[in-house]
Amino acid sequence: MHWVAGGFVFRRVESPFHKLDPRTKLLISLEFFAISLLAFAIIQVAIVLASVLFVAVYAKSLKRIGRTILMSAGFAGFIFAINLLFGVGLVSSLLYALRFLAIVSSTSIFFVTTSPDELEHTMKWLGVPRDIVFAFVTAVRFIPVIMLDAFQIMDAQKSRGLELEKGNFVKRIRNMVPILVPLVVNSVVRSGELAEAMESRAYGATPKPTSLYKLRLSRKDKSVMLVSLLFFAAVLYIYLRVKVPV
Amino acid sequence: MINFSNVDFTHQNGVVALRAINLTIDRGEIVAVVGENGAGKTTLVRHMNGLLKPSRGIVTVDGVDTRRRSTAQLSRKVGIAFQNPDHQLFSDTLENEIIFALKNFGFPEETIRQRLDWALNFFGLEQYTKDSPLILSGGEKKRLTLACILAWDPDVIILDEPTVGQDAIQKERLAEVVKMFKSVGKTVVIVSHDVEFIWPLQPRLVIMSAGRVVGDGPARDLMRDRGLLESARVTQPQLVQIHAELKASNSHPFVDTLEARKYITDMVKR
Repeated sequence: MHWVAGGFVFRRVESPFHKLDPRTKLLISLEFFAISLLAFAIIQVAIVLASVLFVAVYAKSLKRIGRTILMSAGFAGFIFAINLLFGVGLVSSLLYALRFLAIVSSTSIFFVTTSPDELEHTMKWLGVPRDIVFAFVTAVRFIPVIMLDAFQIMDAQKSRGLELEKGNFVKRIRNMVPILVPLVVNSVVRSGELAEAMESRAYGATPKPTSLYKLRLSRKDKSVMLVSLLFFAAVLYIYLRVKVPV
Repeated sequence: MINFSNVDFTHQNGVVALRAINLTIDRGEIVAVVGENGAGKTTLVRHMNGLLKPSRGIVTVDGVDTRRRSTAQLSRKVGIAFQNPDHQLFSDTLENEIIFALKNFGFPEETIRQRLDWALNFFGLEQYTKDSPLILSGGEKKRLTLACILAWDPDVIILDEPTVGQDAIQKERLAEVVKMFKSVGKTVVIVSHDVEFIWPLQPRLVIMSAGRVVGDGPARDLMRDRGLLESARVTQPQLVQIHAELKASNSHPFVDTLEARKYITDMVKR
């Protein structure tokens, strides 16, 4: 479980993709997102997924993206089952489930390869208000901490005889109470402490704080952006012009 | 009681946390596990109730391989008091917090009532019975976590960094509790950096460094071995340091540190 939960989390890796400007990575991620959303045939979704996995290999993050897909597989199965149950048809149900996986992996390629610092700079560049940027980036930064907390709480409760995997569905949901209560309480306490610490370090003292780093597009970034836009245009052309069976 | 036989443990990220651990802890022993951060102390004790299973080798509790039992089953014999009380307190009242494990282990109602009353009284928490655990101070929360574990009367009690955030009085009370455990034949394993807390208990000392046990013996002997302690980045208790200094300067012909303790106490009184 711990292994799978690491899916969406950024980890510093030495890869050419990680070194790209975050805006380049955002563009690639958005392009994948768009072509996943517009895909109307299983073969198209499969091509998108294969392309995402190709980028994941280039980013030396195939395992992480694999974990993301594995984590999302349960919900994809739910989408498939619900659609099938309401008479959408086997192929279309499969298409919706796969499209969901393609969308999740497209967005996760950005989050897995972009550090919270880069995310912060990108959001500021997009003109997002500073407080919202701070809240969002802090939330992202705290995902691994909260996950670690959750696993420690699970260990503590298992050591008190709690068997998380036992019982029917309702019992299993009830078993989560001893995990969720300390997790939420700890997170609330931590957020209060963080707010106090930030204020003690002059957060909000000046309306326009200075920044040590500035985003700069390199020649490599520009080339990658151009190639990705050409790929995006080609895929859109194929979507519109080439007829494929659903 | 607890036996580690040639145990290795590697985390999922590839970090080797334990290497070739051979260790036997007998019933009624007080064992203190010391070592620098990342030496593998917590990883070692997490094997004792099956929270972690060895990558290689075998860990047994009363002859039973921990890989064949769930943590919940092993916890009936081995109770762990975790470092951070906030990681386990969740109930609306202290009463419900203490009986949580007793219900999980299937104790009869009458026994639960008896154990609850005993635990609340023993740790001086009876005035908070119907209060939320969240209103307690840090020290009280720590006592509550101990009460939660002692309530089900495990044979082995593991205390992970029990003195963190505790004032001097609380530490003394905790030391008294550990001595009481020993007097009733419980096995106590203490993971701590606090050598001043460990030293008066005179436990068996297990020194860890880089995932290995580099020293195992009476604290009275190992705490004098400055070279060993320095290699494992463990400090000597102040009393041992003073004893060594006095001995080196031939100020007083002490035989051991206990005698030195008496001398220093008398000197302070004078």
